[in-house]
Amino acid sequence: MTPEQLSERIALARTKDHLIDLIGITKEFDGTPVLRGIDLYIRKKEFVTLLGPSGCGKTTTLRIIGGFETATEGALLFEGQDIAALPPYKRRVNTVFQKYALFPHLNVYDNIAFGLKLKKLPKKVIDEKVEQMLELVNLKGYARRHVEALSGGQQQRVAIARSLVNEPEVLLLDEPLGALDLKLRKEMQLELKNMQQRLGITFIYVTHDQEEALTMSDTIVVMKDGTIQQIGDPKSIYDEPANAFVADFIGESNILRGTMVQDELVRFAGANFPCVDFGFGENAPVDVVIRPEDIMLVGEDVGQIVGTIKSVLFKGVHYEMMIDAGEYTFKVHSTTMQPQGSKVGLNIVPFNIHIMKPMEEVASNEI
Amino acid sequence: MMKWLKKCYLALVLIFLYVPIIVLIVQSFNAGKSRAKWEGFSLRWYIELFQDERTLQALFVTLSIAVLAMIVSTVLGTLAAIGIHAMKKRPQALMMTLTNLPNTMPDIVTGISLMLLFIFTKVERGYVTMLLAHITFDTPYVILSVLPKLKQMNRHTYEAALDLGATPMYALFHVIIPQCKQGIITGAMLAFTLSLDDFTISYFTTSPLVQNLSTLIYSSARKGIDPSLNALSALMFVALLVLLLIVNRRTAEDK
Repeated sequence: MTPEQLSERIALARTKDHLIDLIGITKEFDGTPVLRGIDLYIRKKEFVTLLGPSGCGKTTTLRIIGGFETATEGALLFEGQDIAALPPYKRRVNTVFQKYALFPHLNVYDNIAFGLKLKKLPKKVIDEKVEQMLELVNLKGYARRHVEALSGGQQQRVAIARSLVNEPEVLLLDEPLGALDLKLRKEMQLELKNMQQRLGITFIYVTHDQEEALTMSDTIVVMKDGTIQQIGDPKSIYDEPANAFVADFIGESNILRGTMVQDELVRFAGANFPCVDFGFGENAPVDVVIRPEDIMLVGEDVGQIVGTIKSVLFKGVHYEMMIDAGEYTFKVHSTTMQPQGSKVGLNIVPFNIHIMKPMEEVASNEI
Repeated sequence: MMKWLKKCYLALVLIFLYVPIIVLIVQSFNAGKSRAKWEGFSLRWYIELFQDERTLQALFVTLSIAVLAMIVSTVLGTLAAIGIHAMKKRPQALMMTLTNLPNTMPDIVTGISLMLLFIFTKVERGYVTMLLAHITFDTPYVILSVLPKLKQMNRHTYEAALDLGATPMYALFHVIIPQCKQGIITGAMLAFTLSLDDFTISYFTTSPLVQNLSTLIYSSARKGIDPSLNALSALMFVALLVLLLIVNRRTAEDK
């Protein structure tokens, strides 16, 4: 991006009602690119999740917003002001770190009061605010405890309280629930979401857990190799993945190579399927994505294609079956079990077939 | 049988280590001047010791240098450790080698090289040069006792402090230093102890006019040992023993 283009885009961003703008952000560590041009805006009171596998640049993006890294190129705006040169202690954002980073030499009270003491508030006000925060995070009566004597979940709450007590405009959270067990994680997800809605604070949340992202976010930003793959609300990301990577990363998918015969008709696995997509041209190669729960098992004689059940796994709510059909093995979720080795028909309604432009490295579904 | 032998061996080692010191302490309470004959218990030599102007002067030099060297090397060593900790891998490894090197070098090499440096730079040897020398050999020990504490620290706590509004200076004093306080105190005490019992390096870096206890004892010993030096050595042994016990206990607690 030329400097002219950049300043043009900064000027454009300033006309919008955005809280934070990342414009053409790149980052290199010792010559290795980590972010390759991130364009993202965040509105007030939004719950935005940066989602992606490890090494995709999500934490680096968060650290740039927090002020712990400087972007190699691009602009970072906060309410239209360029804050790239502002040190972390002058930014109106607070961070909840991975593994919490509580001050081990201070007790719960002093950890939470750290930021307030720096603002030189009177002791009475600090006491009140800390007390309120302890109540908010369900840790009433823990003020004098030593932080290292607390459980992981409790330390997590202290870390959140320590940030929230400063009433930041934006709270940055770097995989805050990563170290907790599954049950506690689910509870904390709901609690965090609840807190965010009650306090009306913007949350920018980093995770590699797609379920967490789908549960909590208003907006999900899917990242891979330092680029943004898709931005959207959880439902559209799940239902309309922009490419095979997103489809594969968000939930489980069958991703196949197919050919668009004509508008609203696609050919894969040796059969033609009516679909709802159009505009790809005739006989164009495409990627076809089908969610495992969208494949219906029917009688052999009425299926659009016929397959043989290779394996059956009980998954609690449903059965997961691998079915050989033509040149592909389909993953199918169904609440009714079919015995291994039996032949079944597979039907897919047009609405559930997602067509997308082929990616260079398509995750094939050979298992 | 094996067990008995083991115990015997340990007893022998301890006897050879500590009997000379015990003899020294006992002798310091001997009323007579003879080293061969016990002439009754007396504090005579202790009283004489504290009336001897030269000895008191040397005691003052020893203690003041130990305290000053401790303070300066603790500050330098702590800051150096924080700097080394923040370095990237390669320069860090280099700095660590440079830190460890003086510790493995014989004192006599350090002493002579410092003496040559002072002669070469035409600095007159005396109190200041001895102090500088002590700071020089103390600092690496402080670095080595602070660095492990920094490594144990969650490195995000510094960033968390900045995030909560602390300036880098405030974060240094309120977050980083409190977290390696144990290492700093251990390092300071180690520096004090090392400075207190150093002879070789002091000998080469001072002038005959400025003597600390160890150089004083050395020069008097050549003229024949004054029994009041027994008293002095006994006192130094007890003082160092107490300090070492404290240092050991601290390091044991840290683990």
